[in-house]
Amino acid sequence: MSKLSAGRKASSSKLSSWVEPSFGDLFSDSGLNSFRLKKGVSSGETESKSRKAAADIGGQRPSKRRAVSGLPEPQVPTGSELSHGGHDDPWVDKHTPCAQADLAVHKKKIEEVEHWLKSKLDIKSEVKGGAILLLTGPSGCGKTATVRVLTQELGCRVQEWSNPTTISEFRTEESFRETFDPGSRFNGFHGVSQTAEFQEFLLRANKYDRLPMLGDGVTSGRKVILVEDLPNQFYRQPACLHDILRRFVRTGRCPLVFIVSDCLSGSSSSRLLFPRDLQEDLGVWNISFNPVAPTSMMKVLSRIVIQEAARSGGRVVVPDKAALDLLCAGSSGDIRSAINSLQFSCLTDGSLETSLWPGKKGKASASVGRGVSRARSKSKACKRSEIQDCSQAIGGKDASLFLFRALGKILYCKRENCTSPEGPSLPAHLSEHQRDTLLVDPEVVVEKSHMSGELFNLYLQQNYLDFFSDVEDVARASEYLSDSDFLTAEWSSRSTMREYGSSVATRGLIHSNSARARADSQASGGFRPLHKPHWLLVNKKYRENCQAAQCLFTSYCLTPLSLQTELLPYLAQLTNTMRNQAQIAFIQDVGRLALRKYPGRMKLEALTDREPGTLDEDSEEEEEGAGPAVPAPPDTQGSAPGPEEPEGLHPALQPGPRG
Amino acid sequence: MSLWVDKYRPTALGKLDYHKEQANQLKNLVQCGDFPHLLIYGPSGAGKKTRIMCLLRELYGPGVEKLRIEHQSITAPSKKKIEINSIASNYHLEVNASDAGNSDRVVIQELIKTVAQSQQIQSSTQREFKVVLLTEVDRLTKDAQHALRRTMEKYMSTCRLILCCNSTSKVIAPIRSRCLAVRVPLPSTEEVCSVLTSVCRKEGLLLPGELAKRIAEKSGRNLRRALLMCEACRVQQYPFSADQDIPNTDWEVYLKETANAIVSQQSPQRLLEVRARLYELLTHCIPPEIIIKGLVSELLSNCDGHLKAEVAQMAAYYEHRLQLGNKAIYHLEAFVAKFMAVYKKFMEDGLDAMMF
Repeated sequence: MSKLSAGRKASSSKLSSWVEPSFGDLFSDSGLNSFRLKKGVSSGETESKSRKAAADIGGQRPSKRRAVSGLPEPQVPTGSELSHGGHDDPWVDKHTPCAQADLAVHKKKIEEVEHWLKSKLDIKSEVKGGAILLLTGPSGCGKTATVRVLTQELGCRVQEWSNPTTISEFRTEESFRETFDPGSRFNGFHGVSQTAEFQEFLLRANKYDRLPMLGDGVTSGRKVILVEDLPNQFYRQPACLHDILRRFVRTGRCPLVFIVSDCLSGSSSSRLLFPRDLQEDLGVWNISFNPVAPTSMMKVLSRIVIQEAARSGGRVVVPDKAALDLLCAGSSGDIRSAINSLQFSCLTDGSLETSLWPGKKGKASASVGRGVSRARSKSKACKRSEIQDCSQAIGGKDASLFLFRALGKILYCKRENCTSPEGPSLPAHLSEHQRDTLLVDPEVVVEKSHMSGELFNLYLQQNYLDFFSDVEDVARASEYLSDSDFLTAEWSSRSTMREYGSSVATRGLIHSNSARARADSQASGGFRPLHKPHWLLVNKKYRENCQAAQCLFTSYCLTPLSLQTELLPYLAQLTNTMRNQAQIAFIQDVGRLALRKYPGRMKLEALTDREPGTLDEDSEEEEEGAGPAVPAPPDTQGSAPGPEEPEGLHPALQPGPRG
Repeated sequence: MSLWVDKYRPTALGKLDYHKEQANQLKNLVQCGDFPHLLIYGPSGAGKKTRIMCLLRELYGPGVEKLRIEHQSITAPSKKKIEINSIASNYHLEVNASDAGNSDRVVIQELIKTVAQSQQIQSSTQREFKVVLLTEVDRLTKDAQHALRRTMEKYMSTCRLILCCNSTSKVIAPIRSRCLAVRVPLPSTEEVCSVLTSVCRKEGLLLPGELAKRIAEKSGRNLRRALLMCEACRVQQYPFSADQDIPNTDWEVYLKETANAIVSQQSPQRLLEVRARLYELLTHCIPPEIIIKGLVSELLSNCDGHLKAEVAQMAAYYEHRLQLGNKAIYHLEAFVAKFMAVYKKFMEDGLDAMMF
């Protein structure tokens, strides 16, 4: 009995430690202080108890910490369960694909990579210089797995770069002092920059083969250098990497594979690190992976489930098909996260609880454990149904859309084909407003595009005209756009109105396109390139030019209006010599309008597939709207043009429609 | 060689070419000693600025004509730096506070304070006040206008304000009531003609009366524009002929072509071209309001009776939007699209009517 109570006490203190592991420090370090504070209120008995508890907690802390940190991956090595061993390995590692058939990547992509690898690894072909392959795609779409499987099948080694951790951090104080000791022979830090190490690595990996060791098995001279994480310095100074790559291409002997994940927000690292001109210059072969298709992901997931169920012998709760579907949808093409969440959702019933209450299930009183388990079995039925919701919470990755696709979804506005009109249809005089149900939810699309509604509207405004054929539709659509701008004009209410604004714009645009009113309408034919909005650039230029005009022609003492619409244009027509060079250049540029010439001053910048929609925030901020609460209107003068300036030079690299 | 507009600008109240009675009254105002705050308003090109400069010269003598351009930087309480250009002589300071956008309040307060706090050097021989000339008062924010009202009272002893604007409707009533309002109307066509002729005579040119009249009419009695046009005519062709073309500005021609493009075809593709043209105009510093105004007047000439009212109504609606909204292109484009739709329908109806 006493044993039981002791067990309970231990478990209770254990439970309390879930809540306040951080207070353990407080108790042990400054226990006296807190004790003094308490003294006034508490009696002597509780006082001693609390001290005891504090000591208890302090003593047990280390083990508890381990338990806490071990929780996320449910692999707590608690005594008896150690025998299960591999059971708690992450399934992602356990089910690493080892053959091409296992890969959840599209066959064409695999072939493409294989073809490249084969052609570069072929010794007979004797290609001079090193070749570089760049694999891009969202995270968890099987880039690394593909490379590993293929190299294995081709029988060549992979030499991988991993970022070194700085050693100096772990130095003892003594050696630290040594480095500063002027008398020491080895004066100064021994650290080498990561960049230098990376360069060294490439050089060595390129030049030297691995030492033939005994028992190595087959050693073929062929190998592939794989780089997945790059030294941070390269993100700050991409030119540094470019130099190294240029050198590598000249002298390299083995293929070099870079794997860079796409990211939606911020500047895309692949475009930063490997700009188009460099890719063309060095012949970098770029293969871009798509998110894993739901069907192939389903295949992989159900295979894993079956294997696991067979191996564990009933310990794993096999989720039904609907749950798997949900997982697939939630992971948005990220197979790694899908498998992880699958594992997690399979474990919820069994091992998670056992690892949470190991004491209860183990030697503590059986009655308690049994009671709990009975209660659980009762609620099992309802829990099953809950799994669907909760697994969404587990595995649900933030689904996001590339801007290109988001725009496509709005502009192509696909509709559901409903043949039987069950709901009440519109009366005859409104029949022109009859529309089939939309397949997409515009608000969700805008939300997933990771963009402010205003900016998204600008993209829409730039592109919507191509999708309309009737002027009346255009008039209505443009009116909606105008409405939406009007809604968000006031800066003080903008944060509230923003969503309404984008809703009005997207829905208005979709509705007013009467050519696409039906699911089966023929208007959707063909792919149309999408472009980046001009307005930001135009507006910036307008403001810059106005400012420049003010500065250059102050001596005329004119209001801006008459300066810009009267003086400058006429000055351009007069032969007047009393002006300085800057003024003359400005007048030539701004005062004159090339007549009859087709306006081609600004090239259309095509929007490409994977491009993030971020523009420099400068130009987005409008002068009129800036108030005290809004960030100060930035100085646009002389600032560099938007980051994607050079992008538009490659209209040929247009991807197909994906809307 | 400077522009004719500047070269032949009258510098004394007595030398002004038109509104002579008003000039006399201003002269009297200066001589009687006590000088009130002034609010001078009138349309662009009527000679407000010229009149003010004459007035200042009357007040202080030729010293006011020694102008210097100053770049001032003012730090707002929010630590924001505001750069602003001002033109100053020893006796006055001219500033366009609306250049500072939303921070115009700070500019007004700071600048007037600095001017008002320094006394005239020789107050015995000179006036005991300085003048601050604020242009485009109607474009000041309400905030700034209220600040101005307060400042006006506070520094009355050392500083007088001359406010200059196109219309008093946007100036708050307290300011209007604190100033002596002087309206400078546009010169009549005959007055413009006589000014043009006299300027040409001083240049040693012979300007036919016919051409002068045409220029005056075309300029819309805006004297500055008329003089610029006249000078452009001189560049284009001399000796003048009575029926020679008066050169338009590039942007006006461009806008006219844009309007023609709208009228000649109504389709989304055409709208795309029109959009590119609008962008082109904007990058050439033509403000959106001017664009929409120009477009309307060109488009109206292509419309029939009742369509005119509809188009004008549309234009007013979208210009209002333009003022309230944020991004001008939405509203410009909506106007053009709307016009296209209406016009197309009108033409189709007309065709149908012709058929039957």
